Amino acid sequence: MDLKQLNSVSPLRVFEDSINGGLGKGNLGVIVSKKGVGKTACLVHIATDKLFKGEHVIHVSFSGNVEHVINWYKEVYREIVDNNSLDDANEVYEQILSNRVVMNFSQEQVAIEKVLASLEALISHGAFSADAVLFDGFKLTIASEDDIAKIKEFAKRMNIEVWFAVSPVRPDVVFDEYGVPNTLEKYFPLIDVLVALKFNEKADKVNMTVVRAHGENVPKPAKVALNPKTMLIAEHN
Amino acid sequence: MTHDLLGMRNIGISAHIDSGKTTLSERILYYCNKIHAIHEVRGKDGVGATMDSMELERERGITIASAATNVMWKGHEINVIDTPGHVDFTIEVERSLRVLDGAILVLCSVGGVQSQSITVDRQMKRYHVPRIAFVNKCDRTGANPYRVKDQLIEKLGLNAVMMEIPIGLEDKLEGVVDLVNMKALYFDAGPSGDGVREEEIPAHLLDEATEKREELLDAVSMCSGNDALMEAMLEENVPVELLKECIRRATINLELCPVFMGSAYKNKGIQPLLDGVIDYLPNPTDVENRGLDLDNNEKEVVLESREDAKPVVLAFKLEDGQYGQLTYIRVYQGRIKKGDTLYNTRSKKKFLVGRLVKMHASTMEDISEAGCGEIAALFGIDCASGDTFCDPSLNYSMTSMFVPNPVISLAITPVDKKAADNMAKALNRFTKEDPTFQTYVDPESNQTIIKGMGELHLDVYIERMKREYKAEVTVGQPEVAYREAISQRADFNYTHKKQTGGSGQYARVAGYIEPTVSENPDEPAPDYVFVDEVKGGAIPTEYIPSCDKGFQTAVKKGSQLGFPVIGVKVCVNDGAWHPVDSSDMAFQTAALNAFREAYEKAKPVILEPIMKVEVEGPSEFQGNIFGSINQRRGMIISSTEDNNQCTVIAEVPLAEMFGYSTVLRSLTQGKAEFTMEVAKYGRVPMGVAEELKKKYEEKKKNQK
Repeated sequence: MDLKQLNSVSPLRVFEDSINGGLGKGNLGVIVSKKGVGKTACLVHIATDKLFKGEHVIHVSFSGNVEHVINWYKEVYREIVDNNSLDDANEVYEQILSNRVVMNFSQEQVAIEKVLASLEALISHGAFSADAVLFDGFKLTIASEDDIAKIKEFAKRMNIEVWFAVSPVRPDVVFDEYGVPNTLEKYFPLIDVLVALKFNEKADKVNMTVVRAHGENVPKPAKVALNPKTMLIAEHN
Repeated sequence: MTHDLLGMRNIGISAHIDSGKTTLSERILYYCNKIHAIHEVRGKDGVGATMDSMELERERGITIASAATNVMWKGHEINVIDTPGHVDFTIEVERSLRVLDGAILVLCSVGGVQSQSITVDRQMKRYHVPRIAFVNKCDRTGANPYRVKDQLIEKLGLNAVMMEIPIGLEDKLEGVVDLVNMKALYFDAGPSGDGVREEEIPAHLLDEATEKREELLDAVSMCSGNDALMEAMLEENVPVELLKECIRRATINLELCPVFMGSAYKNKGIQPLLDGVIDYLPNPTDVENRGLDLDNNEKEVVLESREDAKPVVLAFKLEDGQYGQLTYIRVYQGRIKKGDTLYNTRSKKKFLVGRLVKMHASTMEDISEAGCGEIAALFGIDCASGDTFCDPSLNYSMTSMFVPNPVISLAITPVDKKAADNMAKALNRFTKEDPTFQTYVDPESNQTIIKGMGELHLDVYIERMKREYKAEVTVGQPEVAYREAISQRADFNYTHKKQTGGSGQYARVAGYIEPTVSENPDEPAPDYVFVDEVKGGAIPTEYIPSCDKGFQTAVKKGSQLGFPVIGVKVCVNDGAWHPVDSSDMAFQTAALNAFREAYEKAKPVILEPIMKVEVEGPSEFQGNIFGSINQRRGMIISSTEDNNQCTVIAEVPLAEMFGYSTVLRSLTQGKAEFTMEVAKYGRVPMGVAEELKKKYEEKKKNQK
């Protein structure tokens, strides 16, 4: 199939539907789970879907290893392409690559101002018209509310969508039935979309719950889940 | 002279630019009593470092040719190859790695694992070279050997373990704690740290040393074959000899990378590093070397590191000095003596071993024989680098070495007749020494073209022509080695017919061309594939190779810019012939024209070399760096920030990189630097392609 078809049948359309039509520019979205449930794969899938749509994305990581992030994208891309037998897969990959930049901050506690300044430098000096910024491994649960407000302000000003993939840092957190840690609650007013991932042992899959969607606070199961093998977003079979 | 193979070490020193390789080599020579005073790379005494023997090297403070030198340390013979750090001279690094048994990977304690460290490490992996790391410049502000060790693990995937911990850092660097012997070592005896003072570990470092030693033991005991160590650990009694033996085995098996540290410039930590070379790097018998038996379908044969075996020798480097051609060799099997007859398996010629020498940077020492594992040099042998010399009864070739294609070319014109003669001599020598430096005369413009791996690479050769050969040349604009390719399938059906009395020419070939596809997405697609699908003898089998040949001629020069066409699959499935008028020539001509016919229909495109560029500089200039890449049609892949240093990795067309060093310097107050290497060939955007084609047409017109 071609790219247009691929985009139209993508499970991400169903996902967007679940969160009332996508996140939208200027907004903050959070994917939360315990460690090792699959939030990075999920985040990379969201980013790859944007790349398929011709959008520009910046992936921000704090892992200290750029290769690692790039390999995630490679794997997710191959998985999607193989599942859908996309035409000219190698060529499409070359094309979308130029719309992705990985920004990496090795310091454990780099100031958020620094991160935002770097992003702005890339967008303005590097003439990279980003549509979305995805933070992986940002310690949202212990960040100050002020920091989040700054990111929100940045998202509005630059007109970009911001996604976070978050795992709680403190060992004493309490998770609710959907997989949301209690340490996240105080940021609720700043978060536009909150999706929780929770491993369901019985069904051997990862459930996705839309906990908040644009001010609406009605936890409802998303119409998609994570495929336990590939960790990609998939429709329920 | 000792010929104790077990005691011998052939090692290389490789690293990122300016990590201090040459400074380190200089210290090694000094402590091994090869030289009696230390000269700095850009020293005020004007002598320059001993290993940088070329005048030009001393002036620029970079090492160009790798000099081989031989030293003794505590009764062990060590052959040291000083390898160049600049990426343009990668071929030198590759070649020296081929002949080494082990290597010291030098890293800067501030810069850590930099782009070149990654390249060099990749090359070492390719040749399975065991390595120990030396974290240099621990006296610099911001030095952090612990971080460098973590990077070795993270970025290079090495199982790096600290063999030492520093006593003080930055300007307070005093010495190191040896974690194997659990002793503190100070280097303050004598004017250049000649003597090592061994003391008890200072109290404030004892806890850390104990902890790091535990880490070391854990890592070593996890490596294969080290069960004895595990047992000794359980009994809490680890003999030093056992530990050393286990570290050695793990290092040689490429399971472990011991990390040493110090400061070459401040003469700290060098002697323990030399001990490490002896203790942990392999001797020639520890490493299995393989050759290819040319008489037996290139079957791999394992070479025996025995002195009484028939000799097998590899020529890995040529140098044309004032005394004639010098050929650096490594003996892999047997031993060679003056007066022996050897056989060059490439040129198929026999020759006599004349003068045999051992090199010490630019001075040499005559020897009468060279044994297995040794590195020596021969005089007056006519050969190319990479040739294998054997006993006349053998026909082996050492594995062929990987030679990258040149990506940049420029025209040079001698200023007068005398310069022209000298230039010819110089080019003859340089091309023999360096396979990535190539030259030819462009038949259309009649100009001499030199090709190489980058601007600096060619710059250095032009400089050397002037200095060493007095060949003044004017230099043209650098040009990129473009490639052409097709983007879709196209059919051909071409009849070549000529009847002008006598026997004529007749041939028809039909089929199609299409882009080749790579089977493995990580590898580029093959350059040229020929498929014969002719049925029922439409083209007689004897003429099929003629077709192949004709197509191969055609792809050498595309019609858009005159550069080679790559990534084409040619399939011939039909044709016609004539019993009298068909010939080899006729089919070649038909194939050539058939290709041209199909090429135009196959939507041809132009490809250009895309460089992987890595820029490093202070974070405050990040915006400027992004901007400069953006202006060069570059694509930013990633940006990493650490300690107010940022590293930007991008892919930029080579054509846009000319003069980048000057631009970067002025954008960042000289605080940023960059390295680049060829990443791939990428499609030239439409607008640029049109420009190039227009220029090519004009050039062709002017020449007519």
